[in-house]
Amino acid sequence: MVDWASLLQSLANGILIAGLYAAVTLGLTLVLGVMGIVNFAHGELIMLGAYSSFWLFTLLGIDPLLSLALSGVLLFFIGTGIYRFTIWPIMKDPPLNQLLLTLGLSIFFQNLAMILWKTDSRTIITSYSGMSLDLGIIHFGLTRMITFLISVVLTVLLVVFLSKTKPGRAMQAVSENNTASWLIGINVEKTYLLAFGVAAALAGAAGALVSTVMYTFPMVGFKLSLKAFCILVIGGLGNIPGTLFGSLILGITESFVGTYIPEGSGWAEGISFVLLIVILIIKPTGLAGTRRE
Amino acid sequence: MNDKILLSVNGLSKHFGGLAAVQNVSFSIRQGEIVSLIGPNGAGKTTVFNLLSGVFSPSAGTINLDGEDITGKRPFEVCQKGVGRTFQIMQPFPQMTVLENIITSSLFGRVPKISLSQAEEEAVELCKLVGLGDKQNTFPRNLTTPGQKRIEIARALAVKPKLLLLDEVMSGLTPTETIEAIKLVRSLRDKGTTVFLIEHVMKVVMGISDRVIVVHHGEKIAEGTCAEVANDPKVIKAYLGEHAEDTKESMC
Amino acid sequence: MNRLISGKSFIVLIVLAVVLIFFYPRVMDSYFLHLTIAIFLAMILASSWDILARTGQVSVGQAGLFGIGAYASALLYQWIHLPPVLGILAGGILAVILAVGIGYLTLRLRGIYFSITTIAFAEALAVIWLMIPDITGGAMGVSTPPLFGGNRILAYYLILAILALVIMTVWLIEKSRLNFAFTAIRQNEDVANVMGINPTRYKVLAFMISAFFTGLAGGFYSHYNTYIIPYEVFGLNVSIACLVMPIFGGLYTILGPVIGTILVKVIEEFLRVTVPYGHQIAYGLILVVVVLFMPDGLIGLWKKRIKPLFLKKSSVG
Repeated sequence: MVDWASLLQSLANGILIAGLYAAVTLGLTLVLGVMGIVNFAHGELIMLGAYSSFWLFTLLGIDPLLSLALSGVLLFFIGTGIYRFTIWPIMKDPPLNQLLLTLGLSIFFQNLAMILWKTDSRTIITSYSGMSLDLGIIHFGLTRMITFLISVVLTVLLVVFLSKTKPGRAMQAVSENNTASWLIGINVEKTYLLAFGVAAALAGAAGALVSTVMYTFPMVGFKLSLKAFCILVIGGLGNIPGTLFGSLILGITESFVGTYIPEGSGWAEGISFVLLIVILIIKPTGLAGTRRE
Repeated sequence: MNDKILLSVNGLSKHFGGLAAVQNVSFSIRQGEIVSLIGPNGAGKTTVFNLLSGVFSPSAGTINLDGEDITGKRPFEVCQKGVGRTFQIMQPFPQMTVLENIITSSLFGRVPKISLSQAEEEAVELCKLVGLGDKQNTFPRNLTTPGQKRIEIARALAVKPKLLLLDEVMSGLTPTETIEAIKLVRSLRDKGTTVFLIEHVMKVVMGISDRVIVVHHGEKIAEGTCAEVANDPKVIKAYLGEHAEDTKESMC
Repeated sequence: MNRLISGKSFIVLIVLAVVLIFFYPRVMDSYFLHLTIAIFLAMILASSWDILARTGQVSVGQAGLFGIGAYASALLYQWIHLPPVLGILAGGILAVILAVGIGYLTLRLRGIYFSITTIAFAEALAVIWLMIPDITGGAMGVSTPPLFGGNRILAYYLILAILALVIMTVWLIEKSRLNFAFTAIRQNEDVANVMGINPTRYKVLAFMISAFFTGLAGGFYSHYNTYIIPYEVFGLNVSIACLVMPIFGGLYTILGPVIGTILVKVIEEFLRVTVPYGHQIAYGLILVVVVLFMPDGLIGLWKKRIKPLFLKKSSVG
């Protein structure tokens, strides 16, 4: 007999975590789509967002769901700084150099966090941390529900930004063809700067969400970036619908594995790799959308 | 020239998304011929070359080289079957010397494989043949555009091709250089290589081609000798519809 | 790409060999011998990474191959008492088998797929190792019998032999047609393909060679250290060290990875003492600085900036 309640509960949990994964991956997708770079330091930007939210809560008592905007703004400036001083000078280099540079930044920030804040795992306990919503047979942790809703809002904001605003449209044009964009008067370098900044801001906001539902520790960004890479490949590298689809696949699979396989929660950490390999075997161009050439 | 068919292309099509870059193109080239592929910008000429050399696999149609079906073969396989090509945008390996660029091609494009020392000997010969004898140890970036085109040609020749695909190797050359290049192509043909070239400079096309194939919007609109093609109303219309400067030149 | 080894370098090589084989192990005290073994091990990792990098591929998961090598020899000893030296060889072979699998899946695609998959691969192995402790020993790790009953000098000779084998392999690659294939693929894969080179085949081959030596190094490490835990051998730190050392020294050269390793190890030893957590920050910094300011590493810096200074002086004098 199928236990429908547990099945539904597991599905719902999967969807909730998928929302967070989408928030984690969107910035990576944006930078890849617009600039053609897989930013290995994206996870560390998320980690910095999580720490900033943690400290704002611990020192000043600001609720992480409010400090989310502050983390976003902070990371926007850190992101634009990183772009201007490290990535901008090598944008015309072979892609190998951009990969190695962002990898170097990733290692740098991981270890900087260890030096500054040790390897302790930190958690935020708010007044509503333990609360949950009951909807008949299934129930949700309130925090998880809120992070999911905020992730949805972030996604919608990004889509609106890309389709309705002038700089957003410029990003789309650049992602299609940067030579042609230059010809029609788009400042490609400024667009790159903004795209990287927006991606970092998204990472900051995602980091604040992460700090409420997971432990905050120096390697948290690295662990999340592995999931984000998997999502990226499922989604076909660099498009938003693909990213959302990939997040759902990963979130739900992890949740089911956690529920139905003995010691599943431990195995769930390895799911992203298994999914990655499966995709590479059956359809390396991604399950959704088309591959960028 | 003999009557043996070296290359025969049948119903070749290539679609990108919904767009047809090449549409139902058929033609054949006899061994020892020099054939030009012409057409207005964006007509699909380079796409045809990319299909012939295996860079793209066709959406439909077949390509037959020397009696062997090479449709859908990957570029390195096509190369080893005897197709050498140059690129419209020159792409020498920047961190290899001129000679090393050519050696690479000799080493891997040939069947059966040849040794490193033999490849080097042949590459030195090829350097001389294309007029890079004194530049063989310089890096491509130190060469002018025509110089880099010579590397392209030498690399394509290094595979000892049955069929040589030349993608606009003569545009941007001075008149003297063009005459030299024409001589080179003729001498290659005399040695038995079949040459298929894309060219914009109509004087060149008319000067060396045995036959001309005209494509427009991805379709073949005419084929024949220079005179036949130049007087074809469809060809005139195709060129007039595009750019005036092309037209002036195309009318021989 | 000159043909034969010159007389001068031949003499240098002979002298180096004599010193390393006959004098060094006798003169050095135990601590320095230990340090030397650690550096040689790291040089093997660095040079192996560089072999693959010659085809333009960036592996961020050498730890996976290293860890497989380490565990293969450790567990084979536990299960069937396979002698350590054979265990080390088995580790290398197992790493090659995994490399073929990952290689054929990812190396036909754009390079980024390979990098992403390798980084995930090492992490996935760590997860597997933690989840099946009955087979793998779990988070607590496994102990292994010491090499040659703990004879450090013999261990030194073994690692020296492996290192010599790696360097010789790199040298042979540089002198062979492989060098042309690898370089062509790195510089422009599409053009290489049109010129008759099967890119996937040569990339997989390079990855196999790289994996073999990385696996051997893992096997050696497990017996030399006599104790391994998953977090260490599959850790990101190993993967990062594998790539920072050759990049720092200078890629696509024989000497680059060797020099890079020595310097990185010295910096690391220094920082390990001064910075308790996060001394690996140096790896990140080196990577960023090298990519931004010295794209050809120390070797390139020497050739472009420092050597000309001497030449100028001597020509004036």
